[in-house]
Amino acid sequence: MGKSGKIFTSVLVWVFLIGTSLFVVYPLVYVAAAAFSPQQNIASLSIIPFGNGVTIKNFIYLFQKTDFPLWFRNTLIVAVATTVSTVFICALSAYVFSRFRFVFKKSLMMSLLILQIFPSFVGMVAIYVILLRIGGLNTLWGLVLVYLAGNIPYNTWMVKSYMDTVSKSLDEAARIDGAGHFQIFAKVILPVSRPIIVLLTITSFIAPWMDFIFPKLVLRSSNVQTIAQGLFGFVTEKKNMFATFSAGSLIIAIPFIIYFIVTQKTLITSLSGAAVKE
Amino acid sequence: MELKTDGSSEKKVRVTAILFMGLGHILYFKEYLKGSIYALIELVTLCLIPFWANKIYGLITLGSPHPELPVKQRDNSMFMMIDGILVIAVLLIVIAVYVVSVKGAMAEYKEFCRNGSLNRKKAFISGKAFPIAGLAPALILMLVFVVVPLVFSACVAFTNYASPEHIPPNNLVDWVGFTNFTDMFGGNAAWTGAFGRVAVWTLIWAVLATATCFFGGFVLAAVLNECRIRIKPVFRSIFILPYAVPAIVSMLVWKNLLNGSFGIVNRTLMEIGLINNPIPWLSDAGLCRFICVLVNLWAGFSYFMLLTMGNMTAISSDIYEAAKIDGASPLYMFRKITFPLVLFQTMPLIIMGFTHNINNFGAIYFLTSGLPEAADSAVTSAGSTDILVTWIYNLTMDLQKYNYAAVLAVVIFVVMAPFAILSFRQTKSYKEGEL
Repeated sequence: MGKSGKIFTSVLVWVFLIGTSLFVVYPLVYVAAAAFSPQQNIASLSIIPFGNGVTIKNFIYLFQKTDFPLWFRNTLIVAVATTVSTVFICALSAYVFSRFRFVFKKSLMMSLLILQIFPSFVGMVAIYVILLRIGGLNTLWGLVLVYLAGNIPYNTWMVKSYMDTVSKSLDEAARIDGAGHFQIFAKVILPVSRPIIVLLTITSFIAPWMDFIFPKLVLRSSNVQTIAQGLFGFVTEKKNMFATFSAGSLIIAIPFIIYFIVTQKTLITSLSGAAVKE
Repeated sequence: MELKTDGSSEKKVRVTAILFMGLGHILYFKEYLKGSIYALIELVTLCLIPFWANKIYGLITLGSPHPELPVKQRDNSMFMMIDGILVIAVLLIVIAVYVVSVKGAMAEYKEFCRNGSLNRKKAFISGKAFPIAGLAPALILMLVFVVVPLVFSACVAFTNYASPEHIPPNNLVDWVGFTNFTDMFGGNAAWTGAFGRVAVWTLIWAVLATATCFFGGFVLAAVLNECRIRIKPVFRSIFILPYAVPAIVSMLVWKNLLNGSFGIVNRTLMEIGLINNPIPWLSDAGLCRFICVLVNLWAGFSYFMLLTMGNMTAISSDIYEAAKIDGASPLYMFRKITFPLVLFQTMPLIIMGFTHNINNFGAIYFLTSGLPEAADSAVTSAGSTDILVTWIYNLTMDLQKYNYAAVLAVVIFVVMAPFAILSFRQTKSYKEGEL
C-alpha cells in the first residue's frame, strides 16, 4: 500500500469514527440541553444546543413540585431487593444444578430453558390476579416477586454454566475439611464465581430502572410509582414537559453512564465470557 | 421387616413404596423422619381431596351465573381458573414427590444390597435433602409467577374473556374452544388482516434489528481494534453511551426529536434549508418502520460491539502469525479468520438477540406506540409498527380483549420454542452429554 493510500485509509477511519460519534451523541446532547433549558416544551427548544440559555429550574421543579424523590426511592428499593434475592436464589439453584445428581434434573433444566424465552408479561393478566389474591397489588414487594421469578430461569442457567467450569477438586478439598454443602456453596463456590455474580448483580439491578410494563400493571396508586412511570408521564400525548423529563432522565442516566465507562474493560470480558461459557 | 441382600426383595420394596408414600422408608430402612414427612404429605393430600375436587370442578365450569347475588358474591371465573391451575400444579408436585420417594426407596435398596447393611451415616438435611431445599424457593416462585401465568394465558386463549360482555365479576367467562384461533387465522377479516400484518412485521423487524446491530457493532469493534489512533479509548467510551442510557429514556428522546411538526430534527433540516416541508418521520408507515430499525441500531450496536471486542481479543495470535507467514493480506485475514471465528463465538448470543427483538417491547412502544394507525386500528388496536408483544399490551391494557391477547401469546410460544431448543443444543452441558 502506497503512502497516499495509507493517508486515505486513516482519513476514512477518522471520518467514520467521528461521524458515528456524532450520531451517537446527537440525542444525548439535546437531553442535556433540554434539562438546563428555560423552555419546557420541545417545540420551543432551540435547535442549537443550549441556545436558550442555562438554568437549573427544571431540577428544582423536579424535586419540589413532582414526586421524583419518591419515585427514585421506590425504584431503588425494588432494584436492591430484586438484586439481592435474585443473586442468592439463582446462585443457590445453580450450585445445586451444577453439583448434584437428582431425579427430574434433566426435565427441570429443560424447563428453565423453555421458560426463559417468554417475556414475563405474556402472563400479565394472571400475575395481576395472583397478586390480587395474595395482597401484593400496589405493593413494592409484589413487584419484586414478579421480577425475581422472571429472573430465575435464564440467570440460573447462566450461573450454572459458569459453575460447571469451576473445578470440583475445590469442593472435595472443602469437604475433607468438614464443610457442609451450604458452607461449600457460600465459602468456596460463590467467591470463585465472582465474575458471573457481578454480571448477574448488574443486570438484575439495572432492569427495574427501565421497566415500564410491570410497574404499570402492579403499582396503580401514586405513592408507589417508579421512575419509568414518572418519566413516561412527563411526555404523553396530552402534555409535553420535555425539559422536566430530560432533567429526570439525566439524573438516572448519569450514574449508569459513569459506571459503564469506568468498567468497560470488565464489561467486555464478562459479556464475551458469558458467550464462551455457554 | 427383613430384606434379602441378593436383590430378590426388589418387588416387595417397590410395592410397599407405591402403596403409601414413605412406607418403604419407615418399614425397611429405618428412616423414620424422612418416611413420616413423606407419609404426612400423602395424608394431607388425601384429606384435602374434596377441596381439590371442588377447585378443579370450578376450573371446568368456570362458575355458574347468580344474577340475584350482589356482584362481590358471584362466581369470579378468573379466580376459579387461577385456583384450578394452581391446584393442578400442586397435585403435579405431589405426584413428582411420590415418584421421588419411590425412586429413593429403590436406590436405598440397591445400596443395601451392595453393603449388606443399612447405611445410616447420612445426615438428613445436609445430605440428600440439600438439592430439594436449595431448589425449593426457585421452583415455587417460578411455578406461581411464571408457569401458572403462562398456563393461564394458554387457557384464556380458549375462553371468551373479553370486554365488554365477559368481564368478571359482573359476568362469567366460558370455554369456547378454538373460536378465537379461527377468528385470528381467517375467520374474521379485520383480525386476520391485522394478525398477518403484525406477524410479518414482527419477523422483518426482528431480523433487521438483530442484523443491523450485529454488523454495526462488529464493524465498529473491527475498526477500533485495527486502527492505531491514540484516542481510541475516547471513541470506545462514546460508543458505549447508548448501552448505558436506559431504553425508555433514549426511545422517548428520539420520539420527541423526530416529532413531525415540532421535533428538533425537522426544524434543524428546515433551518439549514435542506428541506422545505417537515418529513413525517413517525407518521408515515414505511418511513416509521425504517426509523424503528435505525433508532434500534443506535440503541443496540454497543452491546454487540462490546461482545465482538471481547471475542476478537480472545482469538489466539498464533493463527494470525501463521496466516501472515503464508502471505495473507490483512483484509483476507479479517475475512477468513476474524469474521468467521467471531461469528461462530457470538452465534448463541445472536440467536438470543433475535428472540429478544421479537419481544422488544420498549424499542417500539416508547418510540412509536405502534403508530401510525393502520386501516383496522380502530377495531384491533394494532398500529402499523406494532409488533406482537406491543399488540398484546394494547389488547390487554386498552381493549381488554384478553382472549385475543392470549392467542397471540400462544403464537409467540410456537414461534419461540424452536429457538429455545436450538440454544439448548448449543449449550456445553448438552454437547458433553451430561443431560
